[in-house]
Amino acid sequence: MNTEKQTSFDSQPLLDFLTKAQDKELDGLDFGVIGFDDRGVVTRYNSFESNAAGLSPERVLGHSLFTVVAPCMHNFMVAQRFDDAKAQSEGLDVVIDYVLTLRMRPIKVKLRLLSAPAVATRYVLVHRL
Amino acid sequence: MSSGLEEEHEALLQFLYMAPVGLVQALHSGEILMINPVCAQLLMPLSVDGGLSNVFSALRDVLPDLQHRVESFEAPHGMICEALQIQLSSSQSGKKAPRILSLSLLKLDAQRLMGLLSDVTQSVKRDRELRHSQAWIHSVVTGISDYALLSLDEQGGVRDWNPGVERMTGFGSADLMGFSYASLYPADAVPASRLLDRLHEADDSGWSLDEGWRLRADGTRYWGSCLIAPLHSRDETQPEERAYSLILRDISDKREAHEEMRRSVSCDHLTGLLNRRAFFEAAELELHRWRRSPRNLALVMIDADHFKQVNDSHGHAGGDAVLRHLAAGMCASFRVMDLIARLGGEEFVVLLPATTLEGAQTVAERLCQTIAHQHVEVDGQLIRYTVSAGVSMMDHNVAGLEGLIKRADEAMYRAKASGRNRVELWRAGDVRAVAGTSIDAPPPHVGE
Repeated sequence: MNTEKQTSFDSQPLLDFLTKAQDKELDGLDFGVIGFDDRGVVTRYNSFESNAAGLSPERVLGHSLFTVVAPCMHNFMVAQRFDDAKAQSEGLDVVIDYVLTLRMRPIKVKLRLLSAPAVATRYVLVHRL
Repeated sequence: MSSGLEEEHEALLQFLYMAPVGLVQALHSGEILMINPVCAQLLMPLSVDGGLSNVFSALRDVLPDLQHRVESFEAPHGMICEALQIQLSSSQSGKKAPRILSLSLLKLDAQRLMGLLSDVTQSVKRDRELRHSQAWIHSVVTGISDYALLSLDEQGGVRDWNPGVERMTGFGSADLMGFSYASLYPADAVPASRLLDRLHEADDSGWSLDEGWRLRADGTRYWGSCLIAPLHSRDETQPEERAYSLILRDISDKREAHEEMRRSVSCDHLTGLLNRRAFFEAAELELHRWRRSPRNLALVMIDADHFKQVNDSHGHAGGDAVLRHLAAGMCASFRVMDLIARLGGEEFVVLLPATTLEGAQTVAERLCQTIAHQHVEVDGQLIRYTVSAGVSMMDHNVAGLEGLIKRADEAMYRAKASGRNRVELWRAGDVRAVAGTSIDAPPPHVGE
């Protein structure tokens, strides 16, 4: 298995890979992966994102994404788009420019928002510019 | 680092991630050193370039004088501003977008600033409602010996009155009976339509209260507080059966304290005109009245031409003098009932109730010509400048106050593009072509 070496932030399509990937495979990626359920509870958190944010997975997994990890995504640009996609029973795959406050420093990133009606876990991917 | 320390460090990080208020540390130049998520969330939609590297540029459109405040703060450390309220325009998508932010800024030392930013939209709204109730109780229980009581019909015509009216205003029954209660106001203070608006507002909320200049029979003015309450029951459906009571009190002695408080909260520090926040608050009320009963409502955007050049060649003192001169010219040109405000920088706005497009155009052109023929003297130097203006009218195709401002803004940019020193009226197809400090630029990080 060498899929993780070929998988990049821009890979198309990606949701299927993420859904099937073991945690170890996610840890091998060079961008941040945050997976969460429809209540916003974090279910997947890879080591790239853990290092960037300075938070170990134990502090994040099982907690609300928009409360303990990324309150700055709780808005119409990120959280709202997942809700809108769900309300219209549509998939979501968009890339937006964003600024995250990783370790309290403003960092320009690209966010890729991924979801599909039939897939329980939604993903925010973080690519540092 | 021991694992104990590491864990503590991580807990502190998460503490800051989770903090429900915005925190930011910046240099005196505005460059952001550290920022927590809530602060980033509040600032990002305001940032013109989509980045978050400088706190002054992020807040430039809504708080243009922040850098000036920091520079003119001389003490080595201390609070530069405390719970300063910042009015945002509501162009962001999302119903829950904040409209009022609160900023406290602390000077830590010669290099660094620490800021606290939070969304206070809801608490400001609650405070305002509370203030109104208090004002109502105050006006009922105090000064009960010194009041005039009138009853009004559904059109605001005076039907009955108590002797206090003559004692306080000098008007006899023959002067008022059957006439509109407008007789109690100076001629240019309120448009006729406003008098009916107040009755409707009393219907909606149980009362309507306003303070301002009132007129005595001998032509002198006093500062009065006027409370209107419906006498009919709330579900009275027959308009002709509606009746109101009006309680008028002379509060001239309290005017100074009241005015001083109003000035400190509502006025732009440089020009004395309304500030953004006071303008949006008053203009939204005017739009609310328009929605209830549409009538002529015009808006003029005014911008000083080549203002950057004025600043460059005459310094900030020259720029400030020009802005003050323009503000004075606007006060002389527009009416007392018009809302005249400085939105930020060299950008001004006027909302004109009961005014036609032609009427607004005429006043704006007169102002334009007046300014072009005058000069401002600063340190013995004469500065000449011009202004460009755009005019829009409220109608059913306009999306609220933001839409009205946007149209006037687009017309103003056509005035700029066609050579400046002129007034243009909004027309379909206008698009603002020049990039700059648009107050309603969409957040640049959406719409990939």
